[in-house]
Amino acid sequence: MSRAWVVAPLLLSLTAHAAPRSSTDETVSAVQRLSRELASDVRALPAEAPVALYFSGGSAELRRAVGSVLAARLAAEGLAPSVVDAPSAEAAESVARAQGARTLVRLTLEVEAGALRARGDALGTWVNFWSGRALTRPARPSGALVESVDADAEVLALASVGTPTTTPPTGGPRGVRLLGATLVRLEQPVAALAAGDLDGDGRDEVAVLTEDTVSVFAADGQLLARRELGSLPFSNATTREPFGALAVLSGPPRLAAWSTRRAQGEVLVLDKGRSTLRAVGTLDSAPLGPVERGGFVPGQTAFQAEVRLGDGRPVTLLAPFTTSSFAPPRMLFVHADGTGSLYSRVGATPTRLGGLGAGSALGDLDGDGTPELLTTSALLQPSPDVLRVHALNGGGDPTVHEPLWQGPLPTGRALFVVTANLDGDERREVIVGLLKPDGTGELFLLRQGAP
Amino acid sequence: MTSRRIALASLVLLGSASALGAGRTRYGGEVRVAHAGPPEVGEPALADTPLEATLLGLLSRPVCGVTPEGEIHPALARELSRPTPQVTRVTLPNAATATALARAWTRLSSTDGASPYRALLYPLRGEGRQVTASGASLELALSFPWPDLERALCHPALAAPVASSTPGPFLSAGRGALDAQLGWPRGRPYLDRLLLTATDERGLARLWSTRQVQVELGVGSETDNAPAGALLYATYLAFSPRRLPTDFRQAVESSIDREDLTRLFVHGPAVPMPHLLPPALMPQPPKPRPAAPASGPARTVTLVYDAALDDQRAVAERIQVKLHERGYTVALEPLARSALRARWAKGDFELMLHAVLLPPVPGPALAVVLDAGGRKDLLGVELPAIGALSDAAARDARVRERALALAASLPLLPLYAQGLGLRAMPEVGGLVMDAQGLPMLDGAFLLPTEGAGTGGRP
Repeated sequence: MSRAWVVAPLLLSLTAHAAPRSSTDETVSAVQRLSRELASDVRALPAEAPVALYFSGGSAELRRAVGSVLAARLAAEGLAPSVVDAPSAEAAESVARAQGARTLVRLTLEVEAGALRARGDALGTWVNFWSGRALTRPARPSGALVESVDADAEVLALASVGTPTTTPPTGGPRGVRLLGATLVRLEQPVAALAAGDLDGDGRDEVAVLTEDTVSVFAADGQLLARRELGSLPFSNATTREPFGALAVLSGPPRLAAWSTRRAQGEVLVLDKGRSTLRAVGTLDSAPLGPVERGGFVPGQTAFQAEVRLGDGRPVTLLAPFTTSSFAPPRMLFVHADGTGSLYSRVGATPTRLGGLGAGSALGDLDGDGTPELLTTSALLQPSPDVLRVHALNGGGDPTVHEPLWQGPLPTGRALFVVTANLDGDERREVIVGLLKPDGTGELFLLRQGAP
Repeated sequence: MTSRRIALASLVLLGSASALGAGRTRYGGEVRVAHAGPPEVGEPALADTPLEATLLGLLSRPVCGVTPEGEIHPALARELSRPTPQVTRVTLPNAATATALARAWTRLSSTDGASPYRALLYPLRGEGRQVTASGASLELALSFPWPDLERALCHPALAAPVASSTPGPFLSAGRGALDAQLGWPRGRPYLDRLLLTATDERGLARLWSTRQVQVELGVGSETDNAPAGALLYATYLAFSPRRLPTDFRQAVESSIDREDLTRLFVHGPAVPMPHLLPPALMPQPPKPRPAAPASGPARTVTLVYDAALDDQRAVAERIQVKLHERGYTVALEPLARSALRARWAKGDFELMLHAVLLPPVPGPALAVVLDAGGRKDLLGVELPAIGALSDAAARDARVRERALALAASLPLLPLYAQGLGLRAMPEVGGLVMDAQGLPMLDGAFLLPTEGAGTGGRP
């Protein structure tokens, strides 16, 4: 039996798996969409004004955000809403009654499987005088409420606010619990992915290379600039799958991009005011990292087994590689057979790893100053693909130990993983580039969620 | 959908769940392929059986391909664009390829070409006889609106002749070996090498049972992991109205059972074709069979057919038997395909089994059928009216409507449509059919076995 089947039930119970989607209106934020659906449900009960709203689950910020937006919608419907605070859902009933509400809506919020969900009920708080001390309920209003919309970057930001950052007493890695949401949907599949501060604001932007374009997105998924690569000459040894190299260069913020569809790469500068990417030079080698350079294996989705570091020193690897990641002084290279070479520093003997996916990266997710190893499935067609986070404490192969966190990803092949500092805190966020079954692409954002 | 979406989508769908490879398709290896076709294929317009078109496609491809969803992606071409609505620009890898392609299309469109596939270029100014290269580009000006031009250009008959100047996915290395072409504009095939063996049906069975090959083309029984393609190789009984009585169509329709032909006389995959276009393009139900016409005087006619196709021989013999019941003595005359096409071009036949590989788009398919039916004059009437409809669904509906209306006026009796049977060993992944119903072997790869990645984890 494939090991994928063994772990599948476990993974299904974790967060961030393929999302059921009830709303496709992507121009409106997830909180607004969810509130719109919930308001519609409450109105259809029909609810009797005044309506009290009670929320549990999620972070306090997420509860307040949904509460505020939903209350505004219900107010527009003339339902005189108020948000009540209570220690439990049961206690909320008496609080609402004491405030004079005639309807109580109790909702539990959660960000799970790339979706923002609300589940709960609505009940009438009026007690018949002849019931005496028994707190009987009226026949109406009553109903169950279940709504789900695709989560977005805003929801992840709300859900992650307030996460404790205390270091465990052992001094080991802090807890990792990632919540995911779709950041960007792309018409084209991803050829390369990078993150870095391109506008000097102290926060990273996300850069995506597709076969013929380079795009830069803000932390909320907003497109900042896009550049077509059509003016570059065609390559004589392109790859069947979109592939390339993309890196944010050190020094003045610049983006280096090279698609294997083209015979040369470009160095670009983001002009945020004009929403453009301006070419300032060409490349003669594939940009693997801020200062690291390599070369493509002609016609293949792989890089040559020799990497040139920032100081010009060459590093010769055991084999060509499909993925590289640099978190100085550490370096990670993933080879075509799913093995990896992890260098603790330049010149050290690499640790051989196994079972790595092309979507692998080094990044400090918990803010403890030591990067973690992130990797996707080594299977050609995982269903679903899985992201694992391993601690890099000490030497040896970190993948032989239980991961700090693992969770399934949305449908598709996760071939690209980078970490980014999108919000200025110590913990880096994760961006996964997915090749979707219909041949399109998707960027899936994961960030630390509320415990 | 863009250039590589179909290939990528196929990879996502067809990869093995248990194969390890860092999530990416791995390059390298060789696959042994056996087929029941000729050892070498000729020029594209004559290599039009599904099997021969597949073999030709290993060495030479048309400028583009069509996805099963009807979208176009460049193949030999770097790009296809429409600088203006009436001009299509095809950007090729180099000027030599552009020149070779322009020559091939001009020849196909000329009267010497003697091919019904010239109808694919009919909407071009000068009916495709004036295609010239400008550097590495071809500027194709339309004489009337024809939104399906690009889809028509993806037909295998419009591939350039095999030559060093026109790269294909593979390059012949001699003795049936084909090496991956690094410079193929769509990206080199995943496999390093294909080893082709031409054999017959018995040879196919023996090679398969002894596991000496990993892929077989042109077989009746397919394996589970083999994709099913569209059945677009359409065979018609063409007749000369001047040399046959007016009730000949009725005589054939009343005597020939198309279900019988596909079940008993031709290789699968095959379906009866009751209308001018194959069921894949025209799914209307069949009309009821007419009664036999009143018997007339006995006549002797000659039926010419393609000597290279066993299916046509079997069908010709069946027609011989069935028409005998209607008072026709049918003499059979097998001909080489080139001779058959020459006879067709001159109208020098009484009866002919005429098979064409139709494009997967109704408009261009009808154009080929009208020309194959000897009614090239109708192209100038029918195509502009179809091309004037900007909506693809409306165009397709109009084509079906016209195909029904024109059926009785064309000296063609549709018989059956066939595809290419394929079987593959489980270790071969990535085998998908294009919209034409032909397998794309350049997308095939060898699946790594589970555990090939050391210490692999799910």
